[in-house]
Amino acid sequence: MRKVAIVGIGHGKFGVRSDASQRELVFEAVKDCMNDAGITIKEVDSMVTGICSDHFSFALQPSAMVHDYIGFLPKGNFRTEGACATGSMAVRTGWMTVASGLADVVLVVGVEKMTEVPTSVATEIMGKGGDATWEYPFGTTFPGYYAMIAQAHMARYGTTEEQLARVAVKNHFYGMKNPYAHMQKDVTLEMALSSAYVAYPLKLFDCSLITDGAAAIVLASEQKAKAISNKPVWMVGLGLGTDTMVIGERKDLTSLRGSVYAARQAYEMAGLTPDDIDVATVHDCFTIAEIVAYEDLGFSKKGEGGKLIEEKQTYADGKIPVNVDGGLKSKGHPVGATGVSMAVEIVKQLRGEAGPRQVKNAEIGLTHNVGGSGQVAAVHIYRRG
Amino acid sequence: MEFKDFSLFLNHTKVKRFVDDLASGKIMGTVCKKCGLKLYPPRADCPDCYSTEIEWVELKAQGKLATFTMIYVPPDHFTTILQMPFSKFRFDPCPIGLLELENGLRIMGWIPKVNPKELKVGMSLKAEPQMLPGGKVTIVLNSV
Repeated sequence: MRKVAIVGIGHGKFGVRSDASQRELVFEAVKDCMNDAGITIKEVDSMVTGICSDHFSFALQPSAMVHDYIGFLPKGNFRTEGACATGSMAVRTGWMTVASGLADVVLVVGVEKMTEVPTSVATEIMGKGGDATWEYPFGTTFPGYYAMIAQAHMARYGTTEEQLARVAVKNHFYGMKNPYAHMQKDVTLEMALSSAYVAYPLKLFDCSLITDGAAAIVLASEQKAKAISNKPVWMVGLGLGTDTMVIGERKDLTSLRGSVYAARQAYEMAGLTPDDIDVATVHDCFTIAEIVAYEDLGFSKKGEGGKLIEEKQTYADGKIPVNVDGGLKSKGHPVGATGVSMAVEIVKQLRGEAGPRQVKNAEIGLTHNVGGSGQVAAVHIYRRG
Repeated sequence: MEFKDFSLFLNHTKVKRFVDDLASGKIMGTVCKKCGLKLYPPRADCPDCYSTEIEWVELKAQGKLATFTMIYVPPDHFTTILQMPFSKFRFDPCPIGLLELENGLRIMGWIPKVNPKELKVGMSLKAEPQMLPGGKVTIVLNSV
């Protein structure tokens, strides 16, 4: 297998983007990405597009709209899907395309335009991320699944609603420093704790946002990377795991088995341990998900994730900085774009270009992206060149 | 939206008898005849040994509440829109939860009769089928 580096990153503004179509959002991110890499679209050999749901796109092949609109014809492009981990599936597929030698320079795009449907419809589309036959008839929603995970975690480990709220406070604190973030709003502990329930015990500020947005990266082989960039970031570990469709079938309701599996695989491939990670973006679709991620990724012991945030160890100057870009919580969660956006943030951190949210001397970064309520999980590890 | 409304999913599957059993008062799981793997929700195919020889068994549906929630922001098909201007209503969703049986299997159900304030992980409940108006059948978790 060949070495693979990220040599370009691009990001559009996340938010309610009623000013732009899905393909126009992609164009913003791709243009930014080409500028960053210092290449033109003509120099890209192949492409992968992450778009999660046809129900948001109102199209059978939304990725075709994308490759047409960005002037990629007649070169190859196709779409990946892994629910909310769709973006990481695209990154992984891009990595495979370069590592295998099929192509030297690959563009990876992630996008979702979620706000064209009303919130109740978006809730329904996302709710079908669970088992449509066996759970959905009980009115389950996406927050509902994570609420059940939260309830189980609280019962077993004594995790509190206040610890959950502290995750929201941190991620909004950093989202205010990220110009691409959807909700750049200071959230206090009191605000978070007094917000209305969405799915008990999760409240409004425990939930990520329904967001429009796109992100893009360029991956290159070693030879091309050195020609294109003087600051390549190498993808040194990739892991992919899965878990049961029905959450009731899981042996442990307080952990995502797919995350644990993917993390072990990625650490092993990279020859690294959790202690080696300088900065991470993890899948905080809900605040409880970030706490469970601390534990599943080995940043804390099992059951001690709540304590980690309470001690502020996941702030930029803490033991393991997590989601200092605002996370899905404040930056927003356009499902197909999220995994690619996570990679963009880690590259910025490892290049030292993260501005007011920069983690000092970050050399090794990690992204953790979960689909559905854990049915698929991807962990990627990155190293400064 | 109860099981019978999901006939698209269940009536055209190899486990369609589940709904009829439920309507007659039984919650059924499957056991693989070859390797003994017990499953709920039921499956026609064993994911462990790949046998398709499956036996249907009625579950002894008593156990402990493994987790629960109350969904205040429902999906579209459960949404009610209040048409009266300047008015609000308070929505008290019925809790749902997962009942963990002695053999480790878990059954999802509505919890309509227990006071939500008294719900606690670990409390003893039993799962029962319940007919709803219109002939739909669903599963509820009731006090033992």
